Amino acid sequence: MGAHRAAVIGAGHTRFGALPDGPRALLRGAVDGAFGSVDQGVDRARVGRAYLATLGFGGWQIGNSSAVLAEEAGLPGVAAVRVENACASGGFAVHAAVAAIAAGDAEVVLVAGLEKMTDVSNARRRYWLGVSGETDWERQAGLTFAGVYGMIASRYLALHNVGPEALAEVAVKNHANGARNPNAHFQKPVSREAALAAPRVADPLGLYDCCPVSDGAAALLLCAPEAAREFTDRPVYIDGTGAASDRLAVQERPEPTRFEATRQAGEAALRSARCERSALSFLELHDCFTIAELLALEDLGFAPRGGAGAMTLAGETRPDGPLPVNPDGGLKAKGHPIGATGVSQAYEVFLQLRGDAGVRQLRSPTRAMTHNVGGAGATAAVTIFSKE
Amino acid sequence: MASLVRVGVYVPVWERGGHRVPGPDEDAFTLAATAVERAIGDGGDPRGPIWVDLVGDAGGIDLAALSAFVGPDAEIHPSSGADADLVSVVRSAAASPADGLVVAADLGRAAVDAGAVAWLFAAGAPTVPYAGGADSAPGARGPVALARSWAARAAPAELRRWVGDVASIASEARPLPTEVAPTAAPPSRAVSEGALVPRPQYLEAVPGHWRFRAERCSHCGRIGFPARGRCRECGRDDGLAEVGLPLDGGTVVATTWIGKGGQPTEFDPQVEATGSFGVALVDLAPGARATLQITDAAPGELRIGSRVGTRLRRSYSLEGEWRYARKAVPLPAR
Repeated sequence: MGAHRAAVIGAGHTRFGALPDGPRALLRGAVDGAFGSVDQGVDRARVGRAYLATLGFGGWQIGNSSAVLAEEAGLPGVAAVRVENACASGGFAVHAAVAAIAAGDAEVVLVAGLEKMTDVSNARRRYWLGVSGETDWERQAGLTFAGVYGMIASRYLALHNVGPEALAEVAVKNHANGARNPNAHFQKPVSREAALAAPRVADPLGLYDCCPVSDGAAALLLCAPEAAREFTDRPVYIDGTGAASDRLAVQERPEPTRFEATRQAGEAALRSARCERSALSFLELHDCFTIAELLALEDLGFAPRGGAGAMTLAGETRPDGPLPVNPDGGLKAKGHPIGATGVSQAYEVFLQLRGDAGVRQLRSPTRAMTHNVGGAGATAAVTIFSKE
Repeated sequence: MASLVRVGVYVPVWERGGHRVPGPDEDAFTLAATAVERAIGDGGDPRGPIWVDLVGDAGGIDLAALSAFVGPDAEIHPSSGADADLVSVVRSAAASPADGLVVAADLGRAAVDAGAVAWLFAAGAPTVPYAGGADSAPGARGPVALARSWAARAAPAELRRWVGDVASIASEARPLPTEVAPTAAPPSRAVSEGALVPRPQYLEAVPGHWRFRAERCSHCGRIGFPARGRCRECGRDDGLAEVGLPLDGGTVVATTWIGKGGQPTEFDPQVEATGSFGVALVDLAPGARATLQITDAAPGELRIGSRVGTRLRRSYSLEGEWRYARKAVPLPAR
């Protein structure tokens, strides 16, 4: 195993869902949670950098929103910046924090992810859901992300002779997991029959194949690994990061059912952590649509091409399986407040590795991977965490 | 000796009341553009100025758009106007120094000589199973004024003398569903508000969508589409040559059907008028793939592996103008 690159010493999370709270209240909730979770406490004066991951959905404070984070976190004067890579903003913000620590720019770094999505009209929401996709061809053909992933799913199912029940099983598993997460947007299990019979959103994807539109925020406090014990006896370490980008339009990639950015980011993260896949206890994968979880399992090398469906149907990715995926419900059931998602994935890892995940606690996990995708694979950030 | 290199003719696939009628995403510009690109041919370029003459009432056609579609050397001559018939337009164009001629019949009038159009179809596609209505029926639109017995008609002698080659497309007629509005509403005046495909970005995509141009890298041979002035494979920005993509014969590699409410907001009027729609990822050539809305087809008709053609069609409207995009249409299996 490689050296630790940073330590997570605190993490906070609001509920995800259609919430009455405004963006400031959400930020405040997540940041207070993160500061409150540091076992020995942390003097705010030691926080030297703050990163805010947000798309600015609906146009909320689309410029300079990092100053709002500094205000809500009680960090006057802190060097703050907004990180934006669509749905992967959170993952990239975590990487920025790790880099700042490695560069010696700050002792302690705050990362927060935020999105407020349910306060705009249906028409404006569809407008905003389309702003991160490729415009010239995908948007002008009448597609949003559901349509792009629907095309990818049609090809995946045909190419590998996989039935729609493999997609449905991802929804069934993640909804069952979400039902054990008090922060999840959806906390109700769904049956495979209900998932298969749901109205089609972008055939072959139905309603239960799609993540919801959610409000929410999450926050982390990071420091240098050697300083971690000053703040807590149970730090969680970041051992490796990997990130990549791909052609924005799916039509410009050699094979639509492969996310090359995910593959590259995964390889780089494992390499930098000097970690074998078999050493990972569980995964937090970017399942904005059910098909995306299957693609990620294959692109990251955990399943052979076309084999992720069978792996899922065999129960291997359930919490009691050999490689649990998305024990928090994933984007699918927990919700997907765009900028918050990548930070929320790290929050789940923080709880699980410290044994604080309550009713959904996995059996003594030691290492985990988070995988955060921007759009339909245009950007990807992968992070490897460990307990020791 | 023929002095007109090529003539393109296009007839819509939809039929209503015995006449071919434009579909809900067709207008005078798309009909003309489709005929133009047939005349120019797959991947072809006019070898000099191209003379575009519009038969009949050209008022419905955005001439600047048509000029952009044909290319920088286009010479548009809409002046023949409503009084001209096809034969006299061909006669005057044949006398011009320009290299090519495209005749596009407009939507508004039946000023097209039925026999002449019939001859064009017979010459370009002798097996077109046209099953039109009454002979030169009053009120027929554009080139639909074909006789039921067109095949028996003799070509006008003048046309035969001047026209070198004819490229025409007309598929078997499909009844236009009654719930489909044959003419679309006026363009929306909504402004793009930035991210909703602002006009400069739309215009940037025009060479790809309208003229279907890709680029080939002379260093590594890779085709890039749409052309962006940089090779996607080796990153070089020199030695790139424009190449045209085949208009027909693409293959569907992925497809989806967008449920009602799953469309971006600018497509709301389309969904209200004609229901939800399909989209296909289409392989056009090695290295060239396009995301195209499906048109002229029934739900589920196009599947992975289906052969498709491409047509320029109306897409959505913003800022008081129609936006056009290339779409996929079914082709008979080979």
